[in-house]
Amino acid sequence: MPRLQLVLSFHAWSLFLAPTTAFQAHVYRSLPETERSEAIVNRISKAISLGLLKVGERLPSETALSEMFGVAPSTLREALSDLRDQGIVATRRGRSGGTFIVKQPFTSADVMKKWFRETSIAEIRDVGDEHAAIAAATVRLACERAEPHEVGRLLELARGLVMSDKPEARARADSRFHIELAVLAQSPRLTNAEIRLQAEIVQALWAPLPVARDPERVAAEHLALARAIADDSAEDAQRLVLEHIRHDVHHLVDTKLSLGYPADEQEQP
Amino acid sequence: MTNAPAAKAATEIAAWMNALGVDVHALAARMSLLWADRPRPLSITPGDIGKLEGLAREFLETHGFVVGAGVIFATEAIRSSEGGLEWWIKREHTVEKLEFDLTPGGERFYDYQNMPFFASASRTGEQTAWGPYVDYLGFDEYILTHSAPIQLDGKFAGVAGCDIRIRKLEEIFMPVLRAIPGDAALLNGSGRVVVGNSGAYLVGERIRTIPGDKELIPIDVPHLGFSLLTGR
Repeated sequence: MPRLQLVLSFHAWSLFLAPTTAFQAHVYRSLPETERSEAIVNRISKAISLGLLKVGERLPSETALSEMFGVAPSTLREALSDLRDQGIVATRRGRSGGTFIVKQPFTSADVMKKWFRETSIAEIRDVGDEHAAIAAATVRLACERAEPHEVGRLLELARGLVMSDKPEARARADSRFHIELAVLAQSPRLTNAEIRLQAEIVQALWAPLPVARDPERVAAEHLALARAIADDSAEDAQRLVLEHIRHDVHHLVDTKLSLGYPADEQEQP
Repeated sequence: MTNAPAAKAATEIAAWMNALGVDVHALAARMSLLWADRPRPLSITPGDIGKLEGLAREFLETHGFVVGAGVIFATEAIRSSEGGLEWWIKREHTVEKLEFDLTPGGERFYDYQNMPFFASASRTGEQTAWGPYVDYLGFDEYILTHSAPIQLDGKFAGVAGCDIRIRKLEEIFMPVLRAIPGDAALLNGSGRVVVGNSGAYLVGERIRTIPGDKELIPIDVPHLGFSLLTGR
């Protein structure tokens, strides 16, 4: 199963840079078991929010997992027990038993604030750039390849945003619409790319923080985009999706700045 | 005049699809036996799920190119609000049940009642094929689904169906398509390319107008609407 291999083979990167100084060797020293367990929890949580592992899916056996992660079975069991406590996985016994993913990890407002603090404007712009590149190609292909009845579903998903009242539900409706564009483009790779990008930004876009995003306006933009696709107007669709993503980036930057730029951390020349 | 290799390819593809259609209809007929001598709408028991799993597993084992198989019930045909979709897929060495989110508004809601392989069979009462499509929130791969209605005394009770990966269909149909001189492609009922024999027609693309030097040969399989785009 290639999706899992993507997530689980995490020794590979260490091969490409050998430490050159004693300090660097210290950085790359082997991890204590507790940090390894945490790393496994983070890796699996991240994989779920990225859509690489999905709710309902069964994880490989404990033996296979500890082998792939290169950790002791006790470390792996600690990680799984942590994930169980968070309600992210559940273990069932019996013939069709095993450890299953049962829930998407929930992101709290504090975690979102931390994300805004730690993510620079340059990085926000860069995610926006990548999203713009993916989305521009996606909507052009969707115009060419979508069938009329599929566009009906897209219009319905565009309206979904105003039906939702909670931030999580809005985030879900928002990302679902964008992912559907890639589904209409008939491309598993663009769909995966969109899932990954949505996982990175959609919670930040709808985070319950001081600068509120107007769901009506976003829904209007989604609807206009869906209509352009229904009309096969690739040029309009591309222009609309690029404007839409620019608004997203503005909103993220505004939210970041509204949380205050930490002046006391300014370094002296 | 139709070119002979293309006509031959159309016949071979039709024979292959018709054979699969017979098997999918047989699966639907065996699944319909669940209702025999039982009050309707049916209350699905764990024993019923076991029987369905047995049928799906057998279908997966006897059809090496099929990657998923199962059943979708019409809401009127069963009593329980849950369990409208029972589907099994092949993993590397095992067969496992595919878990779906069937709660409308749920985080990963799979709107199966509106998926064409169910909706179309429900509307027409005939077999149907849907794809290529990215089965997002379902199998999450690029597949084609072939389904046949489950009929109870002439009433629609759901569909039995199977999934085939697009990459597998490419392997299956490429030899017959390569035997056709010039650019040719197998198109689905919506004019979408399923497999092309060159880079001229790429899978997933919709062919909206037939070029002047080309023609469409229907693939003789009832209700599926496939055709072969080929040089005159």
